[in-house]
Amino acid sequence: MMALNRRRFLQAGGAAAVLGTAGCDAPQQALWPYTGLPGEAKLPFAPPGGGSIDLVSHLLNRLSYGARPGQHGRILRLAKREEEAAARFIDEQLAPEKINDDRAEFRVQRFETLALAPIGEFYEFQPGLLREELTRATLTRAVYSERQLQEVMVRFWSDHFNIDISKGECKWLKPADDRDVIRPHALGRFPDLLAASAKSQAMLTYLDGRANRVRQPGDQPNENYARELLELHTLGVRGGYTQRDVMEVARCLSGWRIGRGLFQNGSVQFEPGLHDGRAKTVLGEAIPARDGMDGRDDFDDVLRIVAAHPSTARHIAAKLCRRFIADEPPAAAIDTVAGVFAKTKGDIRKTLRALFFTDEFRGTRGNKFKQPLHFIASALRATGAESDVGRPLVNYLLRMGHMPFEYPAPDGYPARAEPWMSTLLWRWNFAAKLAKGQIKGSRIDRDRLAKRAGGVAKLAAHLLGRRPSDVELAAATASGNALGLLLASPSFQWS
Amino acid sequence: MKPAKAILHGNGDLQRTLVVVFLRGGADGLALLPAVGDDDYHRARPLTAVGESEAIRLDDRFGLSPVMAALEPAVKEGALSAVHCVGSGDTTRSHFEAQDLMEHGGHTGGGWLGRFLRFREQASGGALSAVALGQAVPESLRGAPSATAMQSLDDFSFSGSDAFVQSLEQLYGGQAGVFGARARDTFDALGRIRDLHANDYSPANGAEYGGGRFARELRLAAQLIQARVGVEAVTVDLGGWDTHLSQAPLISPLLRRLADGLGAFRRDLGAAMQQTTVVVMSEFGRRVSENSALGTDHGRGGAMFVLGGDGAEGRVIADWPGLERDALVGPGDLPVTTDYRDVLIPLLRRHAPGADMAKVFPGHEARPLGEAVERA
Repeated sequence: MMALNRRRFLQAGGAAAVLGTAGCDAPQQALWPYTGLPGEAKLPFAPPGGGSIDLVSHLLNRLSYGARPGQHGRILRLAKREEEAAARFIDEQLAPEKINDDRAEFRVQRFETLALAPIGEFYEFQPGLLREELTRATLTRAVYSERQLQEVMVRFWSDHFNIDISKGECKWLKPADDRDVIRPHALGRFPDLLAASAKSQAMLTYLDGRANRVRQPGDQPNENYARELLELHTLGVRGGYTQRDVMEVARCLSGWRIGRGLFQNGSVQFEPGLHDGRAKTVLGEAIPARDGMDGRDDFDDVLRIVAAHPSTARHIAAKLCRRFIADEPPAAAIDTVAGVFAKTKGDIRKTLRALFFTDEFRGTRGNKFKQPLHFIASALRATGAESDVGRPLVNYLLRMGHMPFEYPAPDGYPARAEPWMSTLLWRWNFAAKLAKGQIKGSRIDRDRLAKRAGGVAKLAAHLLGRRPSDVELAAATASGNALGLLLASPSFQWS
Repeated sequence: MKPAKAILHGNGDLQRTLVVVFLRGGADGLALLPAVGDDDYHRARPLTAVGESEAIRLDDRFGLSPVMAALEPAVKEGALSAVHCVGSGDTTRSHFEAQDLMEHGGHTGGGWLGRFLRFREQASGGALSAVALGQAVPESLRGAPSATAMQSLDDFSFSGSDAFVQSLEQLYGGQAGVFGARARDTFDALGRIRDLHANDYSPANGAEYGGGRFARELRLAAQLIQARVGVEAVTVDLGGWDTHLSQAPLISPLLRRLADGLGAFRRDLGAAMQQTTVVVMSEFGRRVSENSALGTDHGRGGAMFVLGGDGAEGRVIADWPGLERDALVGPGDLPVTTDYRDVLIPLLRRHAPGADMAKVFPGHEARPLGEAVERA
C-alpha cells in the first residue's frame, strides 16, 4: 500500500511538492548519511603546481566532469610516477563496474520513476515528472558519481543517439532508453549499443521506426530511422551510402512495432505482416528473401553490416576525438582510434583506452570549451558543493540551452565550442551566485574550502589545473568574490 | 536615459523581437473576431453577438467587439491583421494535445520557436534571446539555445558586484576570436541590464497598461525590448478562455484585457514596433452555437491576430466557409481553412530571412497565406 500511496502522491502533482521541500535548506546531513566528500576528503589538499595543465588535471578535465578537492592528490598517489598514476586512473574509470558508487546511487534513489518496469508503467506518470526526475538524476550523477567516465560517455551516446523527450510518446519512453539502452552499453560494445538503440521503444518512436510498415509490395517504407541510422548513428553523411541503401535498410527494418496487447506491456515485437520479406541489397551485400518470422533476421543482418562498415569506425572515431581531443581533431588520432575500433569490433573501452594514450590526446590541453552541463557539474565538484539538484540549479541548463534530452533534432547537442559561447552571462551569474551560496538547494562550505586549499593561489590552481597567472590572481583578489571570479574566469570555461 | 546604441549579437539595434501571446483554454474565434456582417452569426449567437453597428469594423464581414476599443488605433493605422478559421490539424479537441501540437509546430519534438532560434541563420542566440514571461518556459520554446522564465525584473539580475565585473573585464579583455567577441557582447548586455535595474520604467507616449498579470507582463516585455538586451522572442500567456459556462460575462473582460494590454504595448513601443511583431494564438476555436449553459464547447478553427509596425498589412485573412450547418465540421465547428504555421512562416521569414522553415516546421508543406487550405 505504501508504494501505491507514494505513486498516487507523485501522480497528483507531487513533483512540485518534492521540489518545494528539496529547495529549502533542509537538514541534509540527517537526510543523506552519505553526504560529504568520499575518499579524498580527508587527504591534504594538494593542487597541481605546474605552470600549465598537468597530465592528471587534464585527465580530470576530459574523462570526468572535473576535479573535486583532494582528488588530484589521490590520483597522484596511485603510483610512484605521474605517468603510471594516470594510467591507473584511466583503467579505473574504464571499469566502472568495479567502482563503488553507493553514494551517488543513494542520491538518485529518490527519483523513483527511474526504476519503473515494465515499460507500460511509465505511462501511469505525468510526463513532466518523468522528465524532471530523469534530468535531475542525470545532473546528480554528473556531479556525484564516482564512475565519471561512464557518465561522460552516457552524455556522448545520448547525443549520438539523440531522442528529444518532448516528441510524442518519447515523454514516457525515454527514461527506459536511458536506463536500459544507453547506460548498460555506454562502455560496452558498439554493435550491442546500436542493436539496443534500434529496438528501443523511444527510438522506434522518435525516428518513426514503429511506423515503418510494408503491408503489400507497393507500400513505401518509412525511411526516417534508416536514414539517420546511416547518416548519424553509423557511417556518417559522407560514409559512402546511397539513397538506395537508405530505402533498402528501411525495407529490412520494416515490421517492428511496440506491443500494446495484454501481457505485451510495451515490448518490441516483430510483425511479419508489416515486414517487406523480399530480397534486398544493403551496401553491396545481398539479403535473401525471407518468409514470415524469418524476416526478423534482416534486422541482425543490417545492423551487422552497418556496425562493421569501415566508415562507421571512422565516423565514431572522429566524434570521440572531437569530444576528447579537439573540435577539429587531428587526422592521426582519428586513424589510430578508428583502427582500434575496427580491430576490436567496436569495443568501446579498448577504443577509448587507445584514444587516451595518443600523443594528440596527451598534448592537447585546455582547448575544449565546456558544455553548460560540464561547466555546472565541474563547478559543483570543484567546490565540494552539497546540492539537491533542484529546479533553481537545473534552470541554469535551460538558460544555457543544454537541458538533457531536449535537443530538438536527431543529431544531438553540438560538440564544438562556438554554439555555446553565448552562454557566458549565465556562467558568470552562476559562478557568482554559487560562490555566495545564493543558489537555492546548493550549498558550499567556503571557509572549509579556503582553509583546505591554503590560500587563493592554491584554490586557483585546484580550479584551473595549473598555477594561476599574476593577472588571474590579482583579479581574483580584487573581485571581492575570489571563488566566484575563478569559476567565471576564461580558463574555467575550458577543459 | 536611453542606453547608447551598440551592436548586440550581429543585428544590434535593428534586432527584431517576436512576441507570442498564447490564449490558453481554446479562445472562441467568433468572440475574438466576430462575423458581424454575417446574418448566420447573429442567428447562431442570439445572446452574445456583437451588434453590427457597435463593432469596430475590419471589413464588410468582420469586426472587433467594442470592448477591444484599445486596438482601434492599430486597426485605423493598418497595423493589425486578423486570421479566421485558423488552427492545427488536431482533431482531439483536447487542450493538452492541441496546445502541444501547436507549440511543437507539428508531430515533432521541441518547440517551433525554440527550433527557430536555434536553427536560423547566424544563430548566435544571446544569453537573453528568449524570455518566457511566467513561471515556466512553454513547450514552444523547448530546445531554444537559451530560454529564461521570468516573472519580474528581479529574475534577470546579475549578482556580481562592480568589482567582480571589473575583474572579469580584466581577464576577458585579452581574449581573442569569437570567445573574446562573445565576452564583449556579454559585458555590453550586463551594462544594459544594470541600466534596466537602475532606472524606473515609465511607459512612453502616454501608454497606460492598467493592472493585472497580463498587462504587467506586456509592460515588462516592452521594457526589455526598449532596453535592447538582446531579446528576440517573448512568450506571454493569457488564460481563462475555456468558456463552457455563461461565456458572455467571462469573455468580455478577457477581450478587454487582451486589447488593453496590446494597445498599451503598441503605444509604449512607438517606433520600436517597426522591429516588433506580436502574434496572438490559441489551441483551437469553439463551437459555433451556444450550449444550454450559454457557453461554448471545444471546436476547431479559431482566430489569430498579428500586430506589427511593418509587414502587417492590416487585413483580414479568412477562407470563410460561412456558418451554415453544411459548412461546419464535427459537432458544428468552424473548419480549419488556414494552417497556423502558414501565418507564422512569413513572420519568421521577416525576422530571419535565411531561416530554414523545413527545420522549424518539419513535415509541413507551407502555403502562401490566404490560399485556401483544402478542407478535410
